[in-house]
Amino acid sequence: MPKLRINDREIEVPEGTSVLDAIFHAGYDVPYFCSERHLSPIGACRMCLVKVGAPRKGKDGDWIRDEAGNPQIFWFPKLMAACTTRATEGMVVDTLADEVRKAQAGMVEFHLENHPLDCPTCDKGGACELQDRSYEYGLFEKYYTQTQNGLKTVLYSRFEFTKRHADKHHKLSEFVVLDRERCIHCKRCVRYFEEIPGEEVLDFIERGNHTFIGSEEIPLPAGFSGNITDICPVGALLDLTARFRARNWEFEKTPTVDMNDAFGAAIWVDSRSGRIERIRAREHPETNQIWISDAARFGHGWASRDRLTEPLLRKDGELVPVSLAEAEAFLAERLSGAKGEEVGLLLAADATLEEGYAFAEAARALKTPHFGFENATRYPVANLPAARYEELLEAEFALVIGDPAEEMPNLYLRLQEFLKGVTPAPRYYHGTPIADLRLEEHMPRRRERLAVFAPYPTRLHRFAGVAGVYPPGSVGALVGALFAILNGKRPEPVPGVPEAELRRVAERFLAAKTRAVVVGAEVLEAPAAAQAVADLARAKGALVFAMPPAAGARGLEAVGLWNPKGRGWEEPGAGLLLAFGATPPERVLAAARLRVLALSHLDPRARAQADLVLPAKTFYEKRGYTVNAEGRVLELRPAPTAPLGAMDGIEALAFWLRGMGRKPPAGHYREARERLHERHKLPLDLPEEVAFWRPKLRLAARPGEDKGELFLAPTMWRARMLADPRVRAALGPPRLRAHPETARRLGLDPGATVEVETGYGRWEARVELDPALAEGALVLPAWGRGAGRRVAYRLRVPAGGEA
Amino acid sequence: MGFFDDKQDWLEIVFRNYPPENRRAAVMPLLRKVQQEEGHVSPERIREIAEILGTTATEVRGVMSFYSYYQAVPTGKYHLQVCATLSCKLAGAEELWDTLRAELGVGPGEVTPDGLFSIQKVECLGSCHTAPVVQVNDEPYLECMNRERLRALLEGLRAGKPLEEIELPGDCGHEVRKEGA
Repeated sequence: MPKLRINDREIEVPEGTSVLDAIFHAGYDVPYFCSERHLSPIGACRMCLVKVGAPRKGKDGDWIRDEAGNPQIFWFPKLMAACTTRATEGMVVDTLADEVRKAQAGMVEFHLENHPLDCPTCDKGGACELQDRSYEYGLFEKYYTQTQNGLKTVLYSRFEFTKRHADKHHKLSEFVVLDRERCIHCKRCVRYFEEIPGEEVLDFIERGNHTFIGSEEIPLPAGFSGNITDICPVGALLDLTARFRARNWEFEKTPTVDMNDAFGAAIWVDSRSGRIERIRAREHPETNQIWISDAARFGHGWASRDRLTEPLLRKDGELVPVSLAEAEAFLAERLSGAKGEEVGLLLAADATLEEGYAFAEAARALKTPHFGFENATRYPVANLPAARYEELLEAEFALVIGDPAEEMPNLYLRLQEFLKGVTPAPRYYHGTPIADLRLEEHMPRRRERLAVFAPYPTRLHRFAGVAGVYPPGSVGALVGALFAILNGKRPEPVPGVPEAELRRVAERFLAAKTRAVVVGAEVLEAPAAAQAVADLARAKGALVFAMPPAAGARGLEAVGLWNPKGRGWEEPGAGLLLAFGATPPERVLAAARLRVLALSHLDPRARAQADLVLPAKTFYEKRGYTVNAEGRVLELRPAPTAPLGAMDGIEALAFWLRGMGRKPPAGHYREARERLHERHKLPLDLPEEVAFWRPKLRLAARPGEDKGELFLAPTMWRARMLADPRVRAALGPPRLRAHPETARRLGLDPGATVEVETGYGRWEARVELDPALAEGALVLPAWGRGAGRRVAYRLRVPAGGEA
Repeated sequence: MGFFDDKQDWLEIVFRNYPPENRRAAVMPLLRKVQQEEGHVSPERIREIAEILGTTATEVRGVMSFYSYYQAVPTGKYHLQVCATLSCKLAGAEELWDTLRAELGVGPGEVTPDGLFSIQKVECLGSCHTAPVVQVNDEPYLECMNRERLRALLEGLRAGKPLEEIELPGDCGHEVRKEGA
């Protein structure tokens, strides 16, 4: 642990700390543009120049000493970039020297040289690092003043020539726009793409004064591109969904949690005048660090358009707006004398713990077998042990069965980190290291540490030492065979995957001291396979990372919403139906006598079949807690965008139960939280770093088996996000991927548009042939519903189309 | 058909010089091969190289555009590069450039209709003592250029003479010294 002196303060920092982090750790400030947390330090912007000196050792191995007997400090001949200089024993750093101040002012001057003065119309204005650093460290009176007509004025630049002009509106994708005039060439975005998601789609083109950021991969692949708008220190890369929507200080900034997937990524919801305008990543060092997926960032448009603002009641076949009192009267009339066991209580996948608790308690009190939540898998994910995401970095080998890039995009980024062999960074007083010297550009990925299997080639396949594609439906066989080999038995053959590959995986798995198993929705839908994974983890000691398709699954199952015997979200049965947050499948609605849906948006199925629709809150607007895939308790805070009268699940349930003349388990959020806490002793008051809730559960798996032929591939994008035309334009029509042989058998032509109908909805899809798929495979994006399942389907060729 | 389809043996020799797990290190020799044989590196070739090396076209273009040697647009049989940095500029490179443009009737990025010539201003070629300097393709420098020598050069090239056989009128200081030495 080197000890060094920063100005007047003596500090001790871990080995390998950069001078930049040492300065911040000591409580001093130094400006920087090119360094960014989790990216390699490169010393490009030269803003962090400081005066550095260090003692030297003589030939005798002892410090060279001055006359007073102290180690003599040898100052570096020039100022050093603090971000790429390693802090060493006895080092002395001066950040306040006159020459440092002058160098900083000079560098600001250079950075502003070609930077346009369009801050008044720039979306970054007010949250711009260049603006802030220019104010703090730019030219200042002491050095730069001029006297004109006897008046002393401050000079902001000593250069007077026309600024360079370049492309100001270069669309990189539907979501990101690049302004090449504003770019200061810090290279953060270029490094981000190579180092974090591992796709080199941005680079410096040309050189010197002509350098600009360019790409041959336009539009940028949707998935992880949005993070560059967060880390851009200037307004060069901007979020198009929020373009010109507000100045930064006008946003209401709400720190909450993304509930589109089970990772539990921390986000900022920036809203203004009751509309969500922008989502940004919020730093959470232990979960999402500073990254979120494009779906979490850009898929918010649905929440602010066409909201339901009042109850709708079906009258003469039409849904018409009514008062809450009329809705109440309607419910009281229709529910009078209703039997408890007829009632069906269904909850959306992004529900909070409190909502789940209220629904579970109500279902228990009503003694109904009809309750559950959307996208519940056959095997309860709460049965599987949970590991912290950071623990993945300590593993030596990871076996992935599924598609993390789509199922839990942030876990995919963690896997990338794992491939680079980076262990969790030390924490300083200022937090995550800004210039982590362990990180380098183009770090080799240790492919031998990763094995990936999925029913189609995923983004991760490219990085894996062993990568296999099996036909959908063979996941049980795959897990079984691996399990057999690990236990020294003869495996049954797995279609599409040679036994030698499996043996290689098993060998590395056993050779590794710590191992991780990452399983997706498909495994959770095959109870035998999931149970095998659970047994494997127990017997051989492996970290398990399960990626359930329902964001709240772990928590909802644990608070009692797991329903192994009765009818859940999928199966018809309930006569009197209350569904909160999403519309259940058509067959479930059709089987009910009374259909009450609490929704934020009216969808076609609800329009056709609902009897009463109540306005509901989206997850952005809810207060409450959730348990993420690692068992961490995270707090949701409400963004002020819910229409007046929009209900959360607890209120909607109370409304329903009062209609039945029963006392609700909780009338409002506060009460639900207290009851939940009383019942389950949740660590709600602990800081999120240590707040884990992992009750040991042995829930029974739900019976059943998939029999269809169409595989619904998990996607980070949800069906509701497609309400936004920008998202639709970016994603294009869904791709129906088929093995060429399969396509020939079904008479599908590549490029043809066909209508695919499944139990989850109807899509116009474009046929795409993929020889990498297994023979017989037919894959359609799930858009969040029924991900990882094989379903029956009907194909139709629309009039005028061909297939 | 791809450019490298019939050059698999050549590729194998090149790849032997680079670590197998990091094929993208071989981007320069591949670019150079294309530039030498086709006179420029087209977007299709960029994509082809990216595919061979297992990287993205963006990265290949980033490397390519860094070096002025690689041309993004087609060049003539003789690509004339006029040094336009300080010493040559002082010695009359601008006039030389104007003459060249007038004689050939093309600007940078264009090729004469007969496909013979294209011109480009380049940064310092490192022969300031014999300024101004012109370079044709990868050949040795043509030094102490002036209008007469330039016309003689163009005439010779048009007549199809190899560069070393073209006689340029007048001489250059160091050639005299060379003879004396």
